[in-house]
Amino acid sequence: MKKSLMDIICCPLDKQELELDARQEEGEEVIFGTLTCTQCGERYPIEDGIPNLLPPDMREA
Amino acid sequence: MTDLAERRGMETNVYQPAEDSHLLAEVAAGDIDESDLVLEVGTGSGYVSEFVKNETNARVLGSDVNPHACSNARERGVEAVRADLVSPFRDAVFDAVLFNPPYLPTDPDEERDDWMERALSGGESGREVIDPFLDSVGRVLAPDGRVYLLVSSLSGVEEVVSRASENGFSAVALRDESFPFETLSILKLIR
Repeated sequence: MKKSLMDIICCPLDKQELELDARQEEGEEVIFGTLTCTQCGERYPIEDGIPNLLPPDMREA
Repeated sequence: MTDLAERRGMETNVYQPAEDSHLLAEVAAGDIDESDLVLEVGTGSGYVSEFVKNETNARVLGSDVNPHACSNARERGVEAVRADLVSPFRDAVFDAVLFNPPYLPTDPDEERDDWMERALSGGESGREVIDPFLDSVGRVLAPDGRVYLLVSSLSGVEEVVSRASENGFSAVALRDESFPFETLSILKLIR
């Protein structure tokens, strides 16, 4: 995901801002990392450049 | 030589572009500007998002609940987000939201539990995904934002228009196209 996506996405549960922890980057792209809700603390993984922002109860499939 | 069933069996994870995808891509691209921020919900293969991005130069995000679809879309150069409808997007950010929803009315006893079924089936009414979409999309639309929604006569156009109206939208059909078993329309919803 592009870092500029941070201005467009939010926590799917409470719509609050997310904090980005990038573990692998390529230019403006984040390939692996974690997004954490600044309000509720829920964590969302970024894998192979794709943020998984499904609510936790839909994530297992 | 492969028969149809086998050919269909080659792709069981991600819905591939068909007449409905082409119709939505063409009509939406003709109505979107370079400066628009666009979201395609349920992007599947990423075909519609890629087409609109290439035709208009607008920034287009593609979201899908299906991880295989997200990977396919990303391979096409689409910015992919795994999401349930519009739930992880901020208020009032999008100028345009596109959706070719799963709309085939399906008998609950015959429903399979796989990604292709999720891409096609709209539950008993055909509107089990369209309705929650219409109830939630207004939040993420900019004040002048609009929705381009593909609807089929199979899932009932009047019911969709009436649900949109309950959510403060008026609907215009930009294009209708008839096929042997259904008529497809692209509705533009504005507030």
